[in-house]
Amino acid sequence: MNSSPVDASASDASSMPQKRFSNLRSVRWRIDLGVLPSSPPASIDDIRRVTADTRRRYANLRRRLLIDHHSPKYGKASPDLTVDNPLSQNPGMHELLAPLVYVLHFDLDHLTQVQKLYEDFFSDEFDKISFPEGDLLSSHRIRRVKNWESGIEIENNLHKITNDHSRDELDPDTREMLLLSDSYGAEGELGVILSERFMEHDAYFMFENLMFGDQGVVSMASFFSPVAGSNSNLPPVIEASSALYYLLSIVDSSLHSHLVELEVEPQYFALRWLRVLFGREFCLDDLLVIWDELFYSSNSRYLDNDVEFNFEVLCSPRGAFIAALAVSMLLYVRSLLLATETATTCLQRLLSFPQNPDMKKLIEQAKSLQVLALESNILSSSCQTYSNKNQLTICRGYSLPSASALPKTSLNVIADRYWEEQWRVLHKDEELRKQSNGHLSSSGIMKKILTKRLSFSRTNSEPFEGNNAHALSSVRRRLFDDSSEVIEAAKDHVKSECNESPVISNNLNVGKGFPEELADQRTSNCMVEETFLSGHNALVVSTPTSPHDIGNDHENESEKSSITSNSFLGDNDEETISMEESCSQNKQDEESTNMEEPCCQNLDKQLAQVAEATSSGDVDSIPEQIAAPKDQKPFAGKFQWLWRFGRGSKEENQESKRSQNAGHIQKDGFDISQCDGTYASCGINKRIEVGDKKVMDTIRNLGQSMLEHIQVIETVFQQDKSKFDPLDNLSNNILGGKGQGTAIAALKELRKISSLLREM
Amino acid sequence: MVLVLAIGDLHIPHRAPDLPAKFKSMLVPGKIQHILCTGNLCIKEVHDYLKSLCPDLHIARGEYDEDARYPENKTLTIGQFKLGLCHGHQIIPWGDLDSLAMLQRQLDVDILVTGHTHQFKAYKHEAGVVINPGSATGAYSSITYDVNPSFVLMDIDGLRVVVYVYELIDGEVKVDKIDFKKTANTQSAH
Repeated sequence: MNSSPVDASASDASSMPQKRFSNLRSVRWRIDLGVLPSSPPASIDDIRRVTADTRRRYANLRRRLLIDHHSPKYGKASPDLTVDNPLSQNPGMHELLAPLVYVLHFDLDHLTQVQKLYEDFFSDEFDKISFPEGDLLSSHRIRRVKNWESGIEIENNLHKITNDHSRDELDPDTREMLLLSDSYGAEGELGVILSERFMEHDAYFMFENLMFGDQGVVSMASFFSPVAGSNSNLPPVIEASSALYYLLSIVDSSLHSHLVELEVEPQYFALRWLRVLFGREFCLDDLLVIWDELFYSSNSRYLDNDVEFNFEVLCSPRGAFIAALAVSMLLYVRSLLLATETATTCLQRLLSFPQNPDMKKLIEQAKSLQVLALESNILSSSCQTYSNKNQLTICRGYSLPSASALPKTSLNVIADRYWEEQWRVLHKDEELRKQSNGHLSSSGIMKKILTKRLSFSRTNSEPFEGNNAHALSSVRRRLFDDSSEVIEAAKDHVKSECNESPVISNNLNVGKGFPEELADQRTSNCMVEETFLSGHNALVVSTPTSPHDIGNDHENESEKSSITSNSFLGDNDEETISMEESCSQNKQDEESTNMEEPCCQNLDKQLAQVAEATSSGDVDSIPEQIAAPKDQKPFAGKFQWLWRFGRGSKEENQESKRSQNAGHIQKDGFDISQCDGTYASCGINKRIEVGDKKVMDTIRNLGQSMLEHIQVIETVFQQDKSKFDPLDNLSNNILGGKGQGTAIAALKELRKISSLLREM
Repeated sequence: MVLVLAIGDLHIPHRAPDLPAKFKSMLVPGKIQHILCTGNLCIKEVHDYLKSLCPDLHIARGEYDEDARYPENKTLTIGQFKLGLCHGHQIIPWGDLDSLAMLQRQLDVDILVTGHTHQFKAYKHEAGVVINPGSATGAYSSITYDVNPSFVLMDIDGLRVVVYVYELIDGEVKVDKIDFKKTANTQSAH
């Protein structure tokens, strides 16, 4: 047992920039916590002096407290027994102390091992005086044995011994340890850094610095107090929990919204995580590695006093690391969490973290998230509201280093949801066009993927049984995400876009100040995200078509949208439809009744009706509505290239003329369309972060692909004209009859747009 | 820090279906070192459940227990303390301190744990402690219908025992604490 932590710390030392005392954890922690001076490079003598000082202080403290202990303290607040009893599930502060003491013990063991190893050097001679008891070696041994038995640290001769070996032959670590444990060095025995006699003193100071944060930001004591913090109205631990969720929402908003839907408040599990710094989630060895990293991050506030920030706890690298580690833990069990449908099971899974996680991955991810957390904490001066802050400061493409490559999105204001719906619906429209030309290859791929994923979707259909509409949507989201991810692999050219596009889409939504009544903006987030992911793929493994349920009912807009997407998919791939229907047919009714997401607009309605028409193969019933969707198709195209704009977006917000360009182009596009009212606010584009170099290429590529798509569609139209099939050919129904004329007109407009783009 | 759970008078399944959920969530295996059960479980399933919480289980026979093999009285030593266990229906008048003290002297124990009245009580007298953990399920008794579910957890630490009593009042678990210190070991009577 002793060897493995040594290995861990040794490998730590090799992989990271060399830390001082990397194999003496207690010393390193003491430096990191601020007990010992860290100003580089503090000499051994300085360290010894500080150590001696702290020990004297502790001795005084203890004497004072013990003597005064018996005097009754009437003003003492009675401890809250609901928290403080032995059976309480709440973690206590003593659990923070335990690893500190362990580490001190461990280092002592290590010291004795080293001493055993280098026995010749750790001699007990003083000033070259050798004691006349037999030859050198045996006298050493006898004395050593005696010393060990008495439990006192081995005395060491600093001024070198009669031995022929010179101290310089030792490796630097051992040499340091020699100096540290030399009881004839500075401050004598009181200065010996690794001392069993003073373990209590050392442990106390480590604990004190941990609890009070050493004038830094994160003080564990504040996590235990129910008193509200100075900057917010919340107790610090609650604030830290919400900081955690905030970071999660930046990084992985689908998981965040899933948890929020289930009403899993962060403090339900975060309380235990934060109060003992994950002491209950990991085995001791893993915990030591985590605390290494945690203490290594400094606790000092790095923001000036006048800079506004979101969360107090994120103001220091250490606090940010804590939040980042919590988020990376959440991401580690992401699929497990998304599979749960009640808060209870979700919490159960959270509170029983897997036994042997991949620590390296966790910590690396935490470190990368730490940077993000620190940056996201800063408010920009122009924002007031929480959500606005998120949009401005967080909008960047951030790809997680972890295996689950879920793109991050930002929180949206309530009004954004309308646009998300629009985008999703329109994009399905676009997909229809792409497919209707007979993309046999792509559909083949999709079929393959779908069959692969069918088992997945089947297992995930169980949650559909729940009466919770949110669970439904969350599972559906997940299906979207997973299937989308699979398809992304298949379609390389859209891969990067899909990763980036959710960012942009949210930026799109951000700018639109459309007032909307929203039941649940968070689900909309995820809907958007999944839409975007699947947008280019049009593989929707989710809700079945329910054409008969669709009425002119605004309440069911979202449902229709999803049905729309489904039907569009089904247009091209009958097999797909049958598979989907088979796996979700019975859930259909439930979903239609449970779905209560607020309405979108006419577009949705019309599109849904179009979908209805296509899926049921009845074109004549709503021929006039086909015209409207046709108008929307150009929008879909525009949105598509708006997305592709965002492909190159990275770190900085750039409200620049590039976005103005984009807005300009879009404006032209809008003028072309008829439904201009709904897209009045082009403010979206202001928020689109576009990489400087890439935007031109992006635009050109957009134009190019648009042109290709237009050509494809036109060929389809040609085909249709040539062989208009009266039979139910689902894939072509929508293009029959009157619709064709308007479709062609729309295509012409699209052509114009694409040429514009290509000229850029 | 030795945790000893004193629990009893559950009367499952006759008078109560199960322990309250909040109690169940607190009683997790692995935390408690000993269980002293005053009796009236009444069925084997409850015995098995308590056994799963802690392997060191001591039960005294209550009048409704279906297992007739439980003893009437039991004594054991934990740390510096001698504990005695009895159901309490044998002590007449029920719940009377003097009679219970007689039993305590008889068994020669420092801490006597009895039940039967379904009321939580903790008396300190003559360098001894008498504890009644009440009914863990809140089952009615022959004396009263209005019973709050309760149980007792003793934290034995050297010469000091801290008695935590957990009561379920209006759906909330309320905890209270009583401290007892044992004077230095006196010679036993015989």
